[in-house]
Order: sequence, then C-alpha cells, then structure tokens
Amino acid sequence: MTAPSLLTQAAGSRRKGARITRRNVVAAALFLAPTVVLIVVLRIVPTVSAVADSTRSGLPGSLAAPEFVGVDVFTKMFSSASFWNSVTQTLVFNVIVNPLQILLALALAVLLTRNIPGRGLWRTLIFLPAAVPLAGSTIVWGIALRPDGPVNGFLELFGLPAQPWFTSPDQVIMSLIILASWIGIGYWMMFLIAGLNDIPPVYYEAARIDGAGALRTFFSVTLPMLRRPLLFVLVADTVANFVLFAPVQILTGGGPEGRSNFLMYDIFHRSYELSDPYQASAELVVLLVIMIAIVAVQFKLLGSDDTGEE
Amino acid sequence: MRRNPLGRVVLTVTAVAISLAFLVPVLWLLASTFRTATETFASSSPLSWDVLWPKDFTLVNLESAVDSGFLTALGNSLLVAAVTVVVGLGISAAAAFALAVIPFRGRSVVFTIVVLSFLVPFEAIAIPLSRSFSEWGLTNTLIALILPGLGNGLAVFTLRQFFLGIPHSLSEAAHLDGANWFRIFWSVYLPLTRPALIGAGLILFLFQWQAYLWPILVTSNASLDLAPVAIAKSFGAFSTDYGRVFAETAILAVIPAVVLLALQRYFVTSVASTGSKE
Repeated sequence: MTAPSLLTQAAGSRRKGARITRRNVVAAALFLAPTVVLIVVLRIVPTVSAVADSTRSGLPGSLAAPEFVGVDVFTKMFSSASFWNSVTQTLVFNVIVNPLQILLALALAVLLTRNIPGRGLWRTLIFLPAAVPLAGSTIVWGIALRPDGPVNGFLELFGLPAQPWFTSPDQVIMSLIILASWIGIGYWMMFLIAGLNDIPPVYYEAARIDGAGALRTFFSVTLPMLRRPLLFVLVADTVANFVLFAPVQILTGGGPEGRSNFLMYDIFHRSYELSDPYQASAELVVLLVIMIAIVAVQFKLLGSDDTGEE
Repeated sequence: MRRNPLGRVVLTVTAVAISLAFLVPVLWLLASTFRTATETFASSSPLSWDVLWPKDFTLVNLESAVDSGFLTALGNSLLVAAVTVVVGLGISAAAAFALAVIPFRGRSVVFTIVVLSFLVPFEAIAIPLSRSFSEWGLTNTLIALILPGLGNGLAVFTLRQFFLGIPHSLSEAAHLDGANWFRIFWSVYLPLTRPALIGAGLILFLFQWQAYLWPILVTSNASLDLAPVAIAKSFGAFSTDYGRVFAETAILAVIPAVVLLALQRYFVTSVASTGSKE
C-alpha cells in the first residue's frame, strides 16, 4: 500500500467516525426527546413560575394584575410568626420521623435477613401497609385514633386513659408520626434488605474468623457496607416526608393550634383557601430550595461514580 | 444462629409479633368493611377480639359504595394508572436506553440532569404547575391527570441500571448486521428487560394510584375524581357512618396489595438497583 492511499483511508475512517458520532447524537436526542419535554414542562416551567410569582404581590381577591415587588413578599414572610411556626413544625416532624423510620427499618431489615422460619412472609406483612394508598391509610388511622376508636380501647385494657391523638396540640405530631411510620418502615425496609443482600458473604466470613461478635460485625461490616443504600433511603424518606400532605389536609387541617401546619399544607392552604398566593409562592421557593439542597447533598455524598459512563 | 437455638426462637417470636402489629390495622379495615359502623365502634370500646372479625357479616357497605358511584372513581384511577404505565414505560425505557447504551458526548451530564430534576418530589412543584395547566386549558381533563406520572426518575434509573448490565457485544453484533439504534432497542434490549420493565411499571403504577394532591388541584368535576379523592370526600361527608368509607378504602387498598404481592420480587429487584454503585 502506498502512502497516499493510507492517508485517504485514515481520512475516510475519520469521516466515518464523525458520521457515526453524528448519527449517535441524533439517535440519543430522539430517544431522550419525550423525557426532555417532560422535564421542561413538569419541572422547569413550574420552578421558574414559582420564583416569578414570589416576586409579585397584589391585594387579595383583586382582579388587577399583581405588581412586581422584588423581595418584599419574602421580607414580610420572614417577619411573620405563622411562617416560622410552619417551618418549626415541619422541622420538628422531620427531625423525629425520618431517623425513627430508618432506624426501625434497619433493625427489621437486619432481623429479617437472619435465618428465621417464614421470614419471607414476615417481610411481606410488614411491607403490606406501603401498598395502601396514603389517602386510605390516613382514613384508617384517622378513625382508629378517634377518642372512641380501637387504639384507645386497647389502652383501656391496660387501664390507661383514652388519648386525644389528632385532636390534641401536644399529640398531633406523634399521631402523624405513627401514621407515616406504619407506611414508611416496611417500604424502606425493603430497600435495606436489598442492600444487606448485596454485601458479599466473604466479609462476614472474615469477621467470624477474626472472632468478631454480632455487635462488632454489625458496626464494622454491615453498617459501612450499607452506606449507600442507607443514605439513599434516608434522603428519599426525608424528601417524601417534607411534602407530606394528604394526612394533614384530610385529618387536621393544619391544627390543632397550627401544630401540624407544615409548609406543604400551608402553601396549599394559602393558595386556595386564604387566597394569599403571593406568600404561598414565596414559601414554595423556600421549600424548593430545601428540597434541591437535600437532593444535591445526596448526589454529592453518593459520589461521582453514579454519573460515570460504565 | 445455628449454635444458639434459644436466640433463634427469640428472634422468630419478635419477627412474628412485629409483623402482626403491622397487619392488625389491615385486618381491622377488612373486618369493618363487612359490618356496620355501629358494630365497629361497639367492638372497640371495650376492646374485644371481635374487633378483627365481623359478628354480623353484611355487604351493605360495599353496596353503598357501589351505589354512590365509587366504581366511576375506581375506573378513572385504573384508566389513569394503565395509560401512565404503558406510555411512561415507553418514555422511561427510551431515555434509559440512550443514557446506558448509545455513546455520545455529555451523556453523564444529561443523566445527572434527568435524575436530579426528577428527584425533587412532584408535590413540591404541583401547585405552580397546576396554575400553568389551567392557563393551558388542561383543567378537568384526563391528560392533566396522566401527564405528571409519565416522567419518573426512579423508573429511568432502574431501567438504565438494567441496560448497563446487558453485554455490549450484543448491540455491537446487531450493529454489524446493519441494525439501527431503534431496532437494537426494540428487538435486542427490550425483550431481555422484562423483569426491569415490570419493576419500573410498578413504580409508575404506585405513583398514580397514590396521587391525591395533584388530582384535587386540576379537577373540580366530580366525574373525574380519582379513587383516593373520592374516599377523602366520603370521609369528610359521612363522619357519622364510616361503613362506606371503610368499604371504599378496602377496595382502593386491595388492588395495589394484590399487584404488589404478585410482583413483589420485581419490585425488590428494582429497589436493589437504587443502592448499587453503578
């Protein structure tokens, strides 16, 4: 082969390579097009419009177009006691409910990956509440925790007084935690069981040979190997509980005394029942910033290998 | 464990006790579906074993649910869920295929954007989105109910994980045979992907079956009520007779419970991919 023909061949394969690259880009764009449209319509448009709405204000119920007021709505919101009450109650609920659910889910996942009879059945029974749609479980617990309901009947068996549950400012958060955990624990347990099953048995062998006890094995093998699933579950649970809506709307309406007036519900309530969409939009921006921050932290902690090519 | 039979007994008893505690509210819901509300409350105070079993078995609550038009709401829910699963699977699988198999520059950036944008829970942007939907004239349409369920980050993620596990040599061989990317997707990848498709389909189904906030934002017409909205309305309206509410809730819960029990292992497989490294 002469030199010129080698050159043309190289140029030819370069051209061919460029053609393949271009064809791949076109194909990828076609395959991704519906998803990209959905992201724009369902995520970017509402985020932008939430931010835009939060910079405008007008008189409640007025037909005149709202005016641009910059950060005035935020300034007013940050000095409003009811906003800080919503933030506080949302945080109190989340600081308790998320670690509690994940700890119990982890304990159950460890228990139900042990060699005990019928463990598949026990897993299924604990997971079952997750299949009940949230509005349904809300109603079941709303009735079960009524003053004359079966839970108080159960307490009575032990001579304990009937509790007010959802109707008491001091117990409403606890009642919501019971409801959310009945659903959440089994659901997240499934993720953790999958994570536990992914741990190569050879690590447990090694721990056994080293004479490590059950506790030592748990803290030096199980927990470190379970870092990724645990983190995923903790973040996913937190994000879900931050926007918990149906139980509040159906059972408490934010009360009693605003104790369950979580941000998500307050935004809804302000938009539709108090016709104060301006502060609602500002609160929504706060909620979105929190959500995006949590998701970004998770992405960061899970490491860049999740975005890797192969 | 093998060396300690007593420990095994203790662990088993614990597991049984906890499982039953989780099961009791479901049993109570089912029992209360088949008895009058008066009997339901009579059995809870003082509490007796009857609380979990109807003494006077009756279908009156189910009849009342059917007569009140609950089946229309159930039909709406089924229709919305079915369309979401079919269309949503197509959209998610196509995206996952591009992100796992087709090599192009910036693929990892696109993947990050897709996953990040769907990780923010839908409820957080539902309220401003509902205002846009009303400007676009989509209020009170089935399209409005279906659309948000179609884009699901977890479904894309699950399918992409699965596609990554399929050997590249398969698509290379198909390429040499002159197949284009669509053919490779349709005839090589999808037939191998059944378990992941079922898992992703479950994720899409559960999202729609649970939907509550979005339907109340975009529908005001009672004939378009989805089942969860319909039961919340009955709960608000019949605070003195809970029988029908129990019946409707039981119907609403039984469908996903049966689907999940039948397909549990696919759900578990798709769940497993969320914790994996790649």
